Amino acid sequence: MQTSFEHFAMGAMLGQSDMPPKDNGSLCFGAPWQRQAFGMALALSKQGVFEWDEFRSELISTIAAWEATHDTSDPSWDYYEIWLTALETMVKRSGLDGRATLAP
Amino acid sequence: MDRFEYSRDREATNAARARALEALLIEKGVITSETVDKIMAIFATEMGPFNGAKLVAKAWVDPAFKILLAQDTMAAVEQMNFATKGAGAEGEHMKAAVNTPEVHNLIICTLCSCYPWPILGLPPYWYKDPSFRARAAREPRKVLGEFGLDVDPGKEIKTWDSSAHIRWFVVPERPAGTDGFSEEQLAALVTPESMMGVAIVKPPGA
Repeated sequence: MQTSFEHFAMGAMLGQSDMPPKDNGSLCFGAPWQRQAFGMALALSKQGVFEWDEFRSELISTIAAWEATHDTSDPSWDYYEIWLTALETMVKRSGLDGRATLAP
Repeated sequence: MDRFEYSRDREATNAARARALEALLIEKGVITSETVDKIMAIFATEMGPFNGAKLVAKAWVDPAFKILLAQDTMAAVEQMNFATKGAGAEGEHMKAAVNTPEVHNLIICTLCSCYPWPILGLPPYWYKDPSFRARAAREPRKVLGEFGLDVDPGKEIKTWDSSAHIRWFVVPERPAGTDGFSEEQLAALVTPESMMGVAIVKPPGA
């Protein structure tokens, strides 16, 4: 089973120089919700809802929790899903959500 | 077919979660419906590998700048007047690892996905891949080989693990056949991959 980086490496060897990483920035998001999750995290840190380093710590521990329970080559890995989970945790922790509930 | 269904549901669920979160933040007055677009527009226009390529090209034509870039990266970046002042996140402590005939540098982030945004933009998806992060630290030569880069066995490979404190990027070696090139012409040769250390800068036309 191929991981995404091996897929890229293979593409690079086959000379597909127009693979996504070439378009760094614009094609890093596989779906609009990934971009949304990314932009919201930046916005909230800019607004001071949390410090960027706090968010990063939460992201690191969410990734570590995934890696503790999955093989590193597990294809179900989804970076932005983990990012979104970390972001939801930070929003809950900030108390911003009050009694409003986030979607399950 | 089952896996397709599963993955489509998962995408839909994640999209719904992101929508719900954004709606909540808008309702609480923390952001507006335009905030994400505004922030992402800054990324598209001000932060990206086009900045890193300019740094590298300048280092190639200006030996004093190359030394400054290696020794005091942020002072060198200051001189470039990039439009990313106060970018904050991920841009505060960048450091250059300069390739030489003896040493090839590779950047990774073993814990998550730290990356020098202002000069490289957002990391490609494989940089965040658990398998890449683990293997690049353990067996960089083999991983680079899989990227199609066979590093001379006599050359040392150094991996630089980005963290909250330092975000690394690589200054690749100037390729042959570029004598007399302008900074602009040189910058056009510099790829994001070469500034991550998973590729070298190829001579023009190669």
